Amino acid sequence: MRGIGLNIPKVDALDKVLGTSMYGEDFSFSNLLHLKVVRSRIPHAKVVGIETGEALKVTGVERIFTAKDIPGNNRIGVIQKDQPVLVSDRVRRVGDPIALVAAKTIEGAEEACEKVKVIYEELPFVKTPEEALRPFAPPIHEKGNLLIEFNLIKGDIQVGFKEAEIIIEKTYTTTWVDHAYLEPDGGVAFWDEKGRLTVICPTQNVHYDQREVASLLNLPIEKVRIIQPTTGGAFGGRLDVTVQCFLALAAFHLKRPVRLLYTHEEVFQVISKRHPLKIHYRSGARKDGRLVAVEVDILGDTGAYASYGTTVAVRSAIHATGPYEVPHVKIRSRMAYTNNPWSGAMRGFGVPQIAFAHESQMDLLAQALKMDPLEIRKINALQVGGETATGQLLRASVGIRKTLREIERWRNKISLSKFDPERPFLRRGIGIGSMWYGIGNTGIANPSTAQIELSPKGEIKLYIGVADIGQGSDTALLQIASEALAVEIKEIQLIRADTSNTTDAGSTSASRQTYITGNAILKAIENLKKEVLKEASFLLHEEEGDLFVEEGFVKHRQKFCIALPIQEVARRTGRTIRGEGYFDPETTKLDPKTGQGSPYATYAFATHLAEVEVDIETGKVRVLRVIATHDVGRAIHPKNVIGQIIGGVAMGVGFALMEEYIPGQTISFLNYLIPTSKDVPEVIPILVEDQEPSGPFGAKGVGEPALIPSAPAILNAIADAIGERIYHLPAKLERVLEAVQKSKSD
Amino acid sequence: MIRFILNGREIEVEVPPHWTLLRLLRERLELKGTKEGCGIGECGACTVLLDGMPVNSCLVLAPKVEGRRVETIEGIGNKESLHPLQKSFIEFGAVQCGFCTPGVLMSAKSLLERNPHPTREEIKEAISGNLCRCTGYQQIIEAIEAVVNHLKRETI
Ligand code: FES
Ligand code: FES
Repeated sequence: MRGIGLNIPKVDALDKVLGTSMYGEDFSFSNLLHLKVVRSRIPHAKVVGIETGEALKVTGVERIFTAKDIPGNNRIGVIQKDQPVLVSDRVRRVGDPIALVAAKTIEGAEEACEKVKVIYEELPFVKTPEEALRPFAPPIHEKGNLLIEFNLIKGDIQVGFKEAEIIIEKTYTTTWVDHAYLEPDGGVAFWDEKGRLTVICPTQNVHYDQREVASLLNLPIEKVRIIQPTTGGAFGGRLDVTVQCFLALAAFHLKRPVRLLYTHEEVFQVISKRHPLKIHYRSGARKDGRLVAVEVDILGDTGAYASYGTTVAVRSAIHATGPYEVPHVKIRSRMAYTNNPWSGAMRGFGVPQIAFAHESQMDLLAQALKMDPLEIRKINALQVGGETATGQLLRASVGIRKTLREIERWRNKISLSKFDPERPFLRRGIGIGSMWYGIGNTGIANPSTAQIELSPKGEIKLYIGVADIGQGSDTALLQIASEALAVEIKEIQLIRADTSNTTDAGSTSASRQTYITGNAILKAIENLKKEVLKEASFLLHEEEGDLFVEEGFVKHRQKFCIALPIQEVARRTGRTIRGEGYFDPETTKLDPKTGQGSPYATYAFATHLAEVEVDIETGKVRVLRVIATHDVGRAIHPKNVIGQIIGGVAMGVGFALMEEYIPGQTISFLNYLIPTSKDVPEVIPILVEDQEPSGPFGAKGVGEPALIPSAPAILNAIADAIGERIYHLPAKLERVLEAVQKSKSD
Repeated sequence: MIRFILNGREIEVEVPPHWTLLRLLRERLELKGTKEGCGIGECGACTVLLDGMPVNSCLVLAPKVEGRRVETIEGIGNKESLHPLQKSFIEFGAVQCGFCTPGVLMSAKSLLERNPHPTREEIKEAISGNLCRCTGYQQIIEAIEAVVNHLKRETI
């Protein structure tokens, strides 16, 4: 089976249902040592001493590493290198790593961790971004507590508000959210037979990990090998380094295999979270519903380290208007360091947070203007020829209006009664949420590479550095290759996400792999075909210009009897024929003062409609149904795209109603609740395919867009049901009850 | 030394008394298909069947299975002959990262053995102890329903 748009079985599904896939925790060796990390229990302190004497006496303990054992650069970080692998002088958050124990048993390693004595000099700690930015606040990093301030300016905001006939001004907040992927971080490291320090563990970017490990250990890059095994979800949490550096450091010194498995509680404590944002939003519109001005101030908490803080600040600002055309825009977006848990990448990079705000604003405007919420969105929605807040002209594939039309069709069919005579404590409502999402990294080069080979044995090999984290990129990318080569998927061997055999594809994030690596694969195949023709011309004694490749065969423009399978060309020449591909989406850098430019080559669009039921006595909200319409360009594998959407909605339900990581309180799934099979609504996914001319077979991306519109739609539906709006996520019981009270007193 | 029936075969194995069944399966018997998600009984990734009933193997002490019947993902099907649920999971796109999959399959298998014609609500209930962060459950539920409908057709 091959082909774009076909629901072939996911290539990894068979092993997964059999339980034979190998995840990070499934690797082990008979002579390995177990690792455990000693971590800080206080949020901010000078470390004046680390005593390991007692710990070393624990039976089975082989060695304890501290920052002194790091031969290279003890600073990592995806954008700013501000994070120590092992703290030498200062802890900046609860959970900062201080020492690493290697022992013969897990129990021994655990006991030794307890016995490592850390002597601290406590420092005042910063709990909120507001506090962090005050004059004389304790500096968390040498350069101060402001990680970034990004400004986006279009038109003249004062003129805009003068034109406005209605102005809505509100403040919204969101909190820390955990990725809650099911597989805890963990893996193994060892020196392989070729003298390469090898690390196997879940990740979203093997080549980034390789650079960090090489720099940490001062090793030439080719001496480090990172392999991504089957990975149990990621959602952005594995874009930063997790266990890689610890594993590598220990194996480097001990010269024997080591294994480190984080406990579930440790994952909750130390892996990055979704950035809490405080969003002050002012929008102005004319009486006819046209948006004329949007002014937003965003302040985020990046916690102790930068991670993706800059990305979130910039991306949330760029997307702050929502998928609407607004002539006058002024946005300031800042991110501050605090001593809170560090925030990083999580599905959407700030866009889910900002979408909650812009979609609440749209409904408030509609309400004030006595307009239909769908109508006001239709009036303002971007379209081809329209211009975004960064001044980017949209040239194609702007499906937002199509998603709105689909939602309208569905809404006309809904008969949901607000009250239930049998159960007078229930209120029902519907709400709409729209979004847009730029595919790929923001305003910077973010290329991918791929190679395709025909071997003399007739094999076809596809090499990609892409980490499939469960969403199905392996399958989709193989489909793209098989379609372009006109061969069956099972004829293509996939070599993936292993730094020793593949080249840099960038990270699996920003919904970028289908679009970017998909295109790199197409380029590789184009180049392969050229090589094949060269070889074929030699073999067949025909002019190269007379030959062409069609449906997997080399053919001749005049001599119809010539039809040589491309694999046969490699077989006959006895050499490997290879095509290399490179693709970097067309973007421009943003102006540092005004944020103007074209940060993404293409955007995805979506609208969700949520039906909810609110129990006004308990505050419990049940999401009954979500209609989810998505413009994905072209669905390479519709069933997987739909799977992304349904999964995204479930995460959106969690984000809207229940998920809240409370520093110092949240421990595990015991008190961090994510939706179960009984909490999720029925989802009706609808694909509107507004093909992207620059996408592989018209595709864009869907991973993050799937989640973004759900929470806004749900919150708007709650407001519709109870007549009062909630401005802080999650809309947990108390907040709903408070809103119910308020609606009664109004 | 404990003795029990594992995937239809009687086995005898030495195990420290404080080990959990999960640890025994994964670390001693090398059956890695049963996953450790949380280790505290909250995620269901470690679900196995004990005398036909789903349990979180991370909460069961290994010696407790003495003389009993334990079934794991390795016992329900293989490449040559998949269990109908396994087939259906592939077909309906019920598998994304797959980390929850073995556990969900075990819960579903137990349900169908006890109640071959469950309603949608009963299916949801049966897998409500299995967290899945990727799929939103809908395609999992559809996959189970398809097997139920198939069973129904066969019995009519
Ligand atoms: S690992 Fe047993 S319930 Fe999570
Ligand atoms: S498929 Fe990833 S947790 Fe269920």
